[in-house]
Amino acid sequence: MAQTPLEPGRGSTRGTPRWVKVFGIIALVLVMLFIISLLAGVRHGPALHTPSGDAGGSTRHSSVAAHGEQPS
Amino acid sequence: MTMTPPLRKLVLTVHLTCSVGWIGAVIAYLALVIAAMTSQEARMLQAVWIAMEVIGWYVIVPLALAALLTGLVMALGTPWGLFRHYWVLISLVLTIFATVVLLVHMQTVSDVAGRAAATPGAAVGGLPGEFVHAGVGMLVLLVIQVLNMYKPRGTTPYGWRKQQERRTVSPAET
Repeated sequence: MAQTPLEPGRGSTRGTPRWVKVFGIIALVLVMLFIISLLAGVRHGPALHTPSGDAGGSTRHSSVAAHGEQPS
Repeated sequence: MTMTPPLRKLVLTVHLTCSVGWIGAVIAYLALVIAAMTSQEARMLQAVWIAMEVIGWYVIVPLALAALLTGLVMALGTPWGLFRHYWVLISLVLTIFATVVLLVHMQTVSDVAGRAAATPGAAVGGLPGEFVHAGVGMLVLLVIQVLNMYKPRGTTPYGWRKQQERRTVSPAET
């Protein structure tokens, strides 16, 4: 919301400008895509940070697991 | 409630500093994410998550809140108003959206960073998610920046009504 010395009122017109309509359509499409991706089961939020999908979240790096743990 | 020109200039300076600083901090955050994505070393991942938490809470969040607050002051303290022009209104909505998503997402970052710090040698995932969040956030901030610089024409119905009222009260003002 930065302001410059330009004052409002220069050529203000009534009715919704075309750029606002285009902006609204793009926003609507993005929201729809987001909802569709959620419905399609794409993980979002904290789940993205658990690559194995488990609730614990942290996973051992392969090299750490190889050197630091003995197979049982 | 219009601000005096010196006060307006001061608030504008603070607002621009915070807004551009916010974008810069997100670029730094993205650089950390990309560095970790290309490295994939456990220690690097841990360091990146801890650094992202610090940058997030101590740089990005304060700058976001300051940009939002000073933006509100600028809008309310100048003839632009908060709901009179589409570019101001859309900037406000996008800034609030970006700030809310940031605050919610930082809880997750803290959670993952805490686990990364607590477990020596642990590697945590989620970097593609971080890339998406920071990348989309950056795009939103750039859109806001462009709107603020170009100030595209367009008065909201409320703004139009206010303009007509002002013209009726003082025709000489126009």
